[in-house]
Formats: sequence, C-alpha cells, structure tokens
Amino acid sequence: MTRRCEETIVRIYPDDEMKTPMHMSMGQEAVAVGVCRALGNNGDVVASYRSHATYLAQTEDHGSFFGELHGRVNGTADGKSGSMHLADIPKGMLGSTGIVAAGIPVAVGAAFANKQNSPGRIAAAFFGDGATDEGVFWESLNVSCAMGLPMMFVCEDNDLAVHTRKSHRQGFNSLVEVVKKYRCSVYEDDTNDVESIYAMTRSAIAQIIAMGTPAFLNVKTYRYLEPCGTTMDSDAPYRRAEEDAYWKGRDCVALQRARLLANGLAEKDVVAVENEINAAILASVAAAKAAAHPTPQQLYYGVFYEAP
Amino acid sequence: MTHQAQPTALSYREALFKAMHDAMALPNTLVFGQGVNDHKGIFGTTTGLGEKFGKNRMIEVPLAEEGVTGICIGAALNGAYPINIHIRADFVLLAMNQIINLAAKYKYMFGGLFDVPMLVRLVIGRSWGQGAQHSQSLQSLFAHIPGLRVIMPASSGAIVDSYAHAVQHHRGPVISLEHRLMYDLTFERDHEPTVLGKTPFSQRRVRKGNDVTVVSTSIMSLEARRAADWLADRGVSCDVIDLHCVSHIDANVIMESVGRTGRLLVADTSWQPYGVGAEICRIVCERDPGALKAPVVTLGMAAAPCPTAKSLEDIYYPNLTTLTDSIAKLVRGKADHGIELPHERSMADVYKRFKGPF
Repeated sequence: MTRRCEETIVRIYPDDEMKTPMHMSMGQEAVAVGVCRALGNNGDVVASYRSHATYLAQTEDHGSFFGELHGRVNGTADGKSGSMHLADIPKGMLGSTGIVAAGIPVAVGAAFANKQNSPGRIAAAFFGDGATDEGVFWESLNVSCAMGLPMMFVCEDNDLAVHTRKSHRQGFNSLVEVVKKYRCSVYEDDTNDVESIYAMTRSAIAQIIAMGTPAFLNVKTYRYLEPCGTTMDSDAPYRRAEEDAYWKGRDCVALQRARLLANGLAEKDVVAVENEINAAILASVAAAKAAAHPTPQQLYYGVFYEAP
Repeated sequence: MTHQAQPTALSYREALFKAMHDAMALPNTLVFGQGVNDHKGIFGTTTGLGEKFGKNRMIEVPLAEEGVTGICIGAALNGAYPINIHIRADFVLLAMNQIINLAAKYKYMFGGLFDVPMLVRLVIGRSWGQGAQHSQSLQSLFAHIPGLRVIMPASSGAIVDSYAHAVQHHRGPVISLEHRLMYDLTFERDHEPTVLGKTPFSQRRVRKGNDVTVVSTSIMSLEARRAADWLADRGVSCDVIDLHCVSHIDANVIMESVGRTGRLLVADTSWQPYGVGAEICRIVCERDPGALKAPVVTLGMAAAPCPTAKSLEDIYYPNLTTLTDSIAKLVRGKADHGIELPHERSMADVYKRFKGPF
C-alpha cells in the first residue's frame, strides 16, 4: 500500500496540486512496515522527514495522508503541515520533523512517559544514518541507556546523508560496533525483507521488555528516488550502478509478492488485493481533491492554546 | 593582458557563485557546509569550487551544526576566514550556542584579544509548501545579539560587494540571510540601489520620494520597489530604503527620510513582534516622534508558524496588493483612498519559476 501510494504521488505530482516538498520512502518501505507491524497497537512512533512509509505503516490511513499532501482540511493537520509533519495520536504516530534527528529525543521522552504510565508500551524513533552524525542522536542514546528506557532506535541505513556517503562523514567504521558499547541490545538486518525485519523487531521488543533497556536496530536499505523530490536520479554522480542494481534486484515489495505466490497464493488473488489497494488510493486522492481548503481563520488556530 | 569586463547583469545565484569564487581565490578562506561539493552545490553557488580550489578548503561536513560552527570559530582564531553555509536558515538553530555564546562574544569576553572573522550563509525558504521548519526568517534573533553583524542582501550587487567586504575587511562574525525566491532573479548593475554610507554593509536607497518612507528588508525591498513604481504613476511618491544590514541601522538615514515624508511603513520578511518594524519604531520614537504625521504601519508574516496549504500560505505573507494598499491608505489617510491596486495573489507566482523540490 505504501509503495502504491508513492507511485501515485510520482504520477500526479507534476499536476502541481500537491504543493509540498516530497521526501520519498520508495525502496525503504520494508523497515517501516516490518517495525510498525511488530509494534502493533502497543508502540509510539516518531518519524524523520522521510515520513511517508512510517506514517502509512503505522496508521494505514492514506485518506488523511493524501488530504494533507493536497493542503486540504481532511488532512492530518487541516492541510497546514504538508509531507514532512504527519501525525495521528490514537494510532501512536507522534509526529515527524523537518529537522534531521530532532525527533529522536522526542521519542525518548515518549519512552520515559511510557515507562511511568504504560508499562510494556515501547517508543520507536525512525531516523536515517545521516541523523547519527548529529549530537542529539548520541545524547538520546546515552540518556535512554543510562535511564533504562523502553526505547527502540531504528536506523534506516541507506548510507547517504542527502548525497554524502558514511565513509566521508564518519570517523569510525561501524556504528553498530560503537552502539554495542552502550547498555542496550543491538540488532542488524541487511535483507530488505519485511518478514525478517518483523521477526527481528519482535525479538527486540521482547528484549526491551525483559531487560528494561533500549534496543538499537540498524536496518540496511536503499532509497530509490532523489533525496527530495519524486524523480529517479540513478544517473546522479553519487549513485553507484552496481549498488543500484543490487538493491533494485531485492526490492522489498517484489520479495514479498514472490513469497506470497511461493506460499501458494494464486496470482489472481494477489492481483485482486493489489487492485483493491489501487482503487482505495485513487478514492483517497479524489476525496482529497474534493475536500475544502482551510479557511483563513484556520491560519491562527493552534498557535497558542487559547482560541484565536 | 585584456581587461575582463564586469558583467552588466547578474542573477542572485550567479552573484553568490562569484562571491564564493572570489572568496576561495584568497588563500585563507575555508567553506564548510553539507552539500558544498555535491552535484547540486548549494543551489549552484559552490559548484565546481571544490575541484578548482581543493576539497581541503571547500569542506563537505557531516550533520553537526553546533560542532562545525565551533570549528569555524577556532579556525578563525588561527587565521582562517571560514564561511559556513546552511541551505535553510532554520538549520542554524542547532548552532545558536556557538554563534551567540561564543562567536558574538569572543572578542569582548577576552578583552579584545581575539577577532572572529567569519561568514554564516543562511537561506530563507518560501512558498511551495516549505512549511513551518523550512521557511523561517530569523534576522531579529541574530540582530538582537551584540557582536553579530546581520545582513539581508536584496540584490546581486549587495551580495558581491558585501561578501567581498566581509571576507577582505570585516573582522567579526557576519550572518547573511539570503532569500531563496531571489536566486533566479537577475539584477542589472545600472539599477542597483544607492549605498547610503561608507561600506557595502550600509543602508541603500531603492527609490527617492517625498510622500512616505518605506523601510524594507530582503525580498520585501523588491516588493517595495514594485509598489513604489505602481504608485508613482498614480501620484504617490515613495522613499524606499532597503535596510540591508538589520543589526546596524544608520538612524540618520531613517530620520532624514521620515523628516521629509512624515509617514513611515516598514515591510519585513518576518514576524512583527520584536522585529525589524519594532526596531525602526524605536529609532524614530527615541529621536523625533513628532516627525510623524500619521501612525506607523508595519507589514510582516502572519503571527503563526508557516502553513503549507497554498490557500493559507497566500494570506500568510504580505503581497504586492496588500503592500500597495497599505502605502496608499497611509498616504491618503483613509481606507477608501481611491487608488487603483495591482491585482496579485502571491509573490511566489511572480518571482519564482521555483517549483519544488528545493
């Protein structure tokens, strides 16, 4: 569903009806879907500005997603937030932020509150490997480990901060080896396989609850599109042809589709589900276009806590 | 040897590239930024300079805003001229500790022992859904702090001259707020505003007039020029002053103009409370409030974080129509001033061929 939503964005973005920068998840969806499925209804999530997959995996709500991208009142924030700031409190989606790494300590705070108020509930921060260059990532990791918080760090490791590789940005060879020195459990995955990520996350959750310490998940993945925008930039100088081919050869959606067929599902049944998803997404886009624009009064609503 | 003629017109982007190129041609300049050496090169303002001058001086940095700012300060103490670039002004908020607690105070705090010559380039985003965290116009935060020099170049000439002055002559930290919507605008050298002082950091006169003083910043200076041109054909003569350096305002320039016109409108790119408009009012009120024949008018962004919805973004920023209307009301002293207004919904639609992604 996440992939279909983003394919829809790629198709209709040139119409210029969604006036918001797009930081696309395409290629990386297995991380969000695997982790959020494993958290189920018992997790809080804070996402990065590459928020689409995390939001859709956590909420399964493409109606308000497309409403928000169109700047309409049926969006997650009455159309006032756009693509980078998606939230849904009842579904445990505590927001996403346009400032790299800024959401990580917010998730730690949610974990702190959960430890006091909701035992067994876990908070997860999603961030890219670029965010681990920021001081606030290390501060958050340290505090979580020192305090023993029910916190899950999910590093969506695509090797790139915008266009810059880890090897040019980091003065150490393995983030995972560094994090292992902290008082937390560390997990790694490089399969791009949603079921493998799901199983790993279930183990991590069990560990967090049993030990009362955080978990750090490093999930290798690959971003198909440009850092910001909906264009495939395979020819850009920072890309590597063999890497591109390697990851597209193990596309997470294709992997899962092949598994379903191998497990005995009929092709026509898979297609039927896909068609159902596509139709629902088109209905969401149509509903977004039909929805009202926010009124001028809504400009000031929510700035302060008193009614404007 | 042939003399290389100066171009008669430069886009804002070309001016920034020229400023970066000329700075790098000096041996002590270092440029730090995320993306300075990638194929996008900070919107084309650093493209190829790493190859030409060396990537040991055009430095691709990790995301570490506070750390990198401190590194710039340290390098400046030891003879370098660092330039630190943030592709959105909002990202510099992660470095405020180093800028405000160290860079701004390093000279004073150590009895004048140290100079911290450095330039911080910040890009203000606007329009097309940049939203709450990619569109802030933070000049007042910086201008509030003694020790910082804050400029908002509103033309290609202002870029080239001010950056050369910063790099070659100015011995303290300079914060420059560039405006993303101006990057593709071309400015003709013969139509550059008149510099009203001794250095390129001085205020500029965009247009001379006698009915009303319009003090403006950044892209609002272009709007003020358009509004003044429109009104000039309809019998209203505007004295437009581009503030340029918002931290160091020549009160004499403001008072001389207000003394002639008796009316003042301030058009800033940011929020009004505690902002540029308030500072201009302080200057006038402390010197000669009697010079004013009418209450001051200020324009700025609506007092809210920036919404992404186009329908709200259009009313979030003042546009040419609201600016022209405000000036006309002020000059005529009534809402039904009878002056025809230009029709325009959004400045973004005019200035920008800009369409995301940024």
